[in-house]
Amino acid sequence: MAQIQTACHVVELKKINATYLRLVLEAPALAAAARPGQFIHIRVSDGNEPFFRRPFSIYRAQAGKVEIFFEPVGRGSKLLASRKRGDVLDVLGPLGHGFTPPGKDVKQVVFIAGGIGVAPFMIFSDAIKEHKAEKILLYGARSKAQTFATGGLKKNGVKVFVATDDGSVGTSGRVSELFDRVKASPDTMIYTCGPRPMMAAVQAFARTHGLKGEVSCEEVMACGLGACLGCSIPTVNGYRTVCHDGPVFDLQAPVFG
Amino acid sequence: MPMKLSVNIGTSVFPNPVTVASGTFGHSEELYRSKEVKCLGALVPKTVTLNAQQGNLPPRICETPAGMINAIGIENAGIDAFIDNKLPGLKRVGVPVIVSISAHNEDDFALMAEKLNAAGGLAAVELNLSCPNLKKKILVAQDAEATAAVVRRVKAVVKYPLIAKLSPNVTDITAIAQAAEGAGADALSMVNTFAAMAIDVRTRRSKIGNFTGGLSGPAIRPIALRMVCETAARVRIPVIGMGGIACADDALEFLIAGATMVAVGTFNFVNPRAPLEVLEGIKAYMKKNKMSDIRELIGSIQR
Repeated sequence: MAQIQTACHVVELKKINATYLRLVLEAPALAAAARPGQFIHIRVSDGNEPFFRRPFSIYRAQAGKVEIFFEPVGRGSKLLASRKRGDVLDVLGPLGHGFTPPGKDVKQVVFIAGGIGVAPFMIFSDAIKEHKAEKILLYGARSKAQTFATGGLKKNGVKVFVATDDGSVGTSGRVSELFDRVKASPDTMIYTCGPRPMMAAVQAFARTHGLKGEVSCEEVMACGLGACLGCSIPTVNGYRTVCHDGPVFDLQAPVFG
Repeated sequence: MPMKLSVNIGTSVFPNPVTVASGTFGHSEELYRSKEVKCLGALVPKTVTLNAQQGNLPPRICETPAGMINAIGIENAGIDAFIDNKLPGLKRVGVPVIVSISAHNEDDFALMAEKLNAAGGLAAVELNLSCPNLKKKILVAQDAEATAAVVRRVKAVVKYPLIAKLSPNVTDITAIAQAAEGAGADALSMVNTFAAMAIDVRTRRSKIGNFTGGLSGPAIRPIALRMVCETAARVRIPVIGMGGIACADDALEFLIAGATMVAVGTFNFVNPRAPLEVLEGIKAYMKKNKMSDIRELIGSIQR
């Protein structure tokens, strides 16, 4: 639609490590409107293959530019990876319901991310830079090659703790090995994004300790606008669309089966 | 040269022939003010049922070559909630509204029509007949008699023009179309999705939670077009053509084949601006071909 469908120039598209690419789009209106936890929906093909747009979490939105990261694993992301600087992409966004900023009384902000799930926490840490709470990131990945540079988060005052499945960087094991960094207090706020088993583990941990939080979910999407109801997930309140009701939900809302 | 784009269905007049297929139009009210929505010939929100339905188990959609399979399960809040919460906003857009309804029996269809009569202000009611026929193990839209029975029952009650939406999953869609016409339908919407499936070969499971679903998108367009063309030649009532329309040329094919209106469906998910682009393209085509009335285009196929 007029306000949210934009033709954006590719300012930069390059590999940042063995796994991920960074895409920077010139998109002033989108960058100004973007909130942490929202996403953009990119038409990766000019034809009908692949057919759906692809949703990407906003990593950063500043100075008129929107930045995302992705791993070229499927048909859509591989096609996107073949684009060049100067190309024009049809982008919908910013879409969805993002993170609720931590209240004034929150004393510890805990980001818990798996793999590329760390992306929305960059823009989120930009937005809450001035907040007085202690901010930590518990970051899990398969191995060093699948981790992001977290310098930007550190610059925003976030303490970073890493766990990798193979122990190639940080603690060896799942991100749950790092849960002892979380203060079991009503003044703690958890925000999580990553693979479903990880989010389920965070949900169970928070439930056990009575901690508040939010979770950013992912699902195959068609419209991205809440029209088709194709990306609905079961929640304690019935089915909710990831694209429009989410992607961010109360941590205890999704039913991870 | 002024260009006449308006078309009629029963007693209702639509400013232009471009609309959207039910279930593909956004529910975000913030978008209603946009040019893309104001330009439409009619708004068709997602099908509503008498009572709330929670919809099918995920996954509800999957990508296929030039299209998608869906089995959403008509998730909706029920007609009372629709009339109270959604309809006022839709009416305020200022574009004629066609409400799509579905039910499991004729009584429920008629009850919904009465509720819509009371709500007022609609341009038409569309019957989504791709619902199980409880007496037989097929869809109402797959049975000429059952189709006629539902159309006749609703037509006796409803004060708006009545549209029957047909399923392509039949041997001869013109027979169903003629049954609907004979029972009093003021127009036909065609086609709904094609029964389809896709399998994940790694898990050997269906890619759709409901096991099977309906195929839509550009992949079905040539088949839908053939059905519209055959039907338009055999009925006197207007046909609203749909099935994979993505751009103006696609829509022009349907109009030339005999459709009085055209609906963009699944392609709204890929390009929300598609209906506007279709309308602009139709106008450009008419100008280029020195047509002053859309009726010069409708059914103009050369044989």
